Amino acid sequence: MTLRTLARPWIWGFAAAALVWVLILAISNQGGGQTVSLALSLAPYLVIVGLGQMLVITAGPGNIDVSVAPIISLAGFVAVQVTATTGSVPVGILAGIGTGLAVAVVSVVAILGLSVPPIIATLAAGLIASSLTLSLADGFTAVPDDGLRRLLNLRPAGVPVLAVAVAALTALVVALLRRTTYGRSLLAVGQSRPAAERAGVPVARVIAITYLASGALAGLAGALLAAYIAPSPDLGTRYLLDSVAVVVIGGTLISGGRAVPVGIWGSALFFILLDGLVNLVGWNTAAQNLLKGGLVLFVLFLAGGGTLRNPGATTRSRRRLRPAAATTAGTSTGENSNG
Amino acid sequence: MHVDNLPVGSHAAPPQGDRTPSPAPPVVTARRVTRTYGRTRALTGVDLDVRAGEVLGLVGHNGAGKSTLMRVLAGLEACDEGTVTVGGQEASRDVAPGTGPFRAVRMAYQETSLCPDLTVAENIWVSSRHCLPRLGWRRAASRAVARRLDEMFPSHRVAPRDRIEDLSLAQRQMVEIVRASLVDRLELLILDEPTESLGPDAARSLYAYVRRLTAQGTAVLLISHRIREVLSVADRVAVMRDGAVVAERPAAGLGEQDVLALMGAEVVEPTATPAPARAAGERPVVATLRGATGHGLHDVSITVGRGEVVGLAGLAGQGQQQVLERLWRPVRRDTTVAGTRAYVPGDRQRSGVLPLWSVAENLIVTAMRGLARYGVRRTGAEDVAVRDWVDRLAIRGGADAGMTELSGGNQQKVIVARAFASTADLVLLDDPFRGVDVHTKTDLYTLIRQEAAGGRSVVWYSSENAEMAHCDRVYVLRAGRVVAELTGAEISEERIIAVSFAESESTGAQR
Repeated sequence: MTLRTLARPWIWGFAAAALVWVLILAISNQGGGQTVSLALSLAPYLVIVGLGQMLVITAGPGNIDVSVAPIISLAGFVAVQVTATTGSVPVGILAGIGTGLAVAVVSVVAILGLSVPPIIATLAAGLIASSLTLSLADGFTAVPDDGLRRLLNLRPAGVPVLAVAVAALTALVVALLRRTTYGRSLLAVGQSRPAAERAGVPVARVIAITYLASGALAGLAGALLAAYIAPSPDLGTRYLLDSVAVVVIGGTLISGGRAVPVGIWGSALFFILLDGLVNLVGWNTAAQNLLKGGLVLFVLFLAGGGTLRNPGATTRSRRRLRPAAATTAGTSTGENSNG
Repeated sequence: MHVDNLPVGSHAAPPQGDRTPSPAPPVVTARRVTRTYGRTRALTGVDLDVRAGEVLGLVGHNGAGKSTLMRVLAGLEACDEGTVTVGGQEASRDVAPGTGPFRAVRMAYQETSLCPDLTVAENIWVSSRHCLPRLGWRRAASRAVARRLDEMFPSHRVAPRDRIEDLSLAQRQMVEIVRASLVDRLELLILDEPTESLGPDAARSLYAYVRRLTAQGTAVLLISHRIREVLSVADRVAVMRDGAVVAERPAAGLGEQDVLALMGAEVVEPTATPAPARAAGERPVVATLRGATGHGLHDVSITVGRGEVVGLAGLAGQGQQQVLERLWRPVRRDTTVAGTRAYVPGDRQRSGVLPLWSVAENLIVTAMRGLARYGVRRTGAEDVAVRDWVDRLAIRGGADAGMTELSGGNQQKVIVARAFASTADLVLLDDPFRGVDVHTKTDLYTLIRQEAAGGRSVVWYSSENAEMAHCDRVYVLRAGRVVAELTGAEISEERIIAVSFAESESTGAQR
């Protein structure tokens, strides 16, 4: 059971990334290693945001953080400004993380204090963030720190330094989920909130920590991204849909309770390479988005058991618990009929 | 036991001799039916006939395969091998409930199948839409459900417009049974533990209706752990053990002890451990409610001493769960709880089981917090605790089995173990032994007494008055008030029932 659910799902993102990589090789005469190196320098930003989004989605149905995009944009401006003012890169990055935390605090207060549905709460917090971004962007003159930009572009032996750092961060998240009470509590809340509550899990605290982590990670991504590219009000825009998409394609259950951090790497590389491929073929952004949206739907369809006949069956049997005798006809015939 | 006073044998006398075929044709026939889930063999070759116009009682321990057999007979699942014949038609492998021959087979579930967010009438539409008009279905469904509720449960107090989540557990069960019975053509009605959450009156009127149904030629399959109840209602009794029907007997002339003997090797009568009648004053107080009022409670005062098992008795839905809720989350001034708490929910499907996890992970989730250091788990200590509890409660399937692969009784064991594996000073039991077999119950009663002797306090709400004999002290609640406090030898089923029902007319008017 654990083997089946844990070992399988993250493979597909990597497989898809490899497939796209082969296609790129076939079409262009660019070096294969160079393509991978480039993808590895772009993917970490998406992975950072994706890790936060994954934690939120794992908290169970209805949990999503739509404030990541505005946080990235705002944190970009704040980090560049603070770095320029104080002259210290770490302080700038911390300011970016702090920005994310501050926006997440608004979401958490709305979700837990006012019982606002998470999608609305984070949307509202995001709107506050984006209005701040617009007022900051007006007449913004500070430029990103050159040293940080060079560090982010550093690729010893073709492997970007940032990719290694984010890989370590991913390992940290894996350990967090497996080894800490917070991680286990989050997975329990995601499987069944009433059951977790009755089992003595501090549900409100777990939810709060989760949204704060997502905000902080989005802030970190914004601070780094602004140094890598340049601060702009649109800096985070594409990261909202992409962060949800990489989480889902990576194998994390959209209904919560199961998180697959490693899978985010596979699907993030897949997305970055897909962008490259589509650019190579000459498609425009609209076509790219169409393709991505279709992919997410396809993965959700596969995750739902791939049955057209009884589409609600798998999600239901996962969400609502029943005794062993209880899997719905549509799924159980598929799994057990050969016994 | 609710329906002791049901007249036995008021129905047609069952056919003499258990191997003689009944003159009535079988409605549903199962032949050599097997079913396997993962590593659990739920059915190992079942032969069963249900004949028109009879009540067939089905008994067996938890995990004997009753629920699985029911699901196969209702067309919810296909069997691995063997055949199921419904109304003379052999069911195909590719089954779906409510299709083909299974349309005339209806089942009322123990864990009700109703959608909590919909109204009663809308739920009727969900399961019986093929018998309702396309336009004006709401009115048709409302009228049908109201009429059937009046017929089955005269004191139901349910309106078709009520939302399911606003109903009490007993009312939900009534709606569930009515939902199952409302269909144009009903050949077999399966009732899975129908009286577990019903009061004695409702149970009596249900069985009166069951007899009327069978008089019209409908077959009724009754599953219950209340053996005396089954014997008083059923014409024949089928006993299941280890995934097979091991005996089929006419109910007449069969005693409770005979059935218990057929169900398992050793007959264990749940005997009350003589509770040491110590006065509450001798113990240090762990939790108190001082005149708690509001949210369905009126001036409730309760004290719980260290190492004491305190019972909350009375009819279902009289405020017992609200008392547990107060103790679980002591946010109000009138409640003080010293020490940590653990909760054993009664509704294990909704608030007990964590479905994606194994038995071990489900079991340790509460204790994990106490074992961890600085928020980091100590898996070694966790493994020891899990192994200890899996052995201690003999949880079938072992620590690594998926939680959803277990039978209901074993799932309940895991959830009870979850609470007791923690270091909680006060354990709250919310009627957790509904639908659990006698053996498991006896094990768990012993466990509760052992843990109490070790200094843990237990507050135990039960709808089964006989269970209260295991308590040191019992508060009987009625309409949100404590109407009696019984200690030691005073605790008896008769006494609790007497106190629960006194002045019930006036409380009925209050609600």
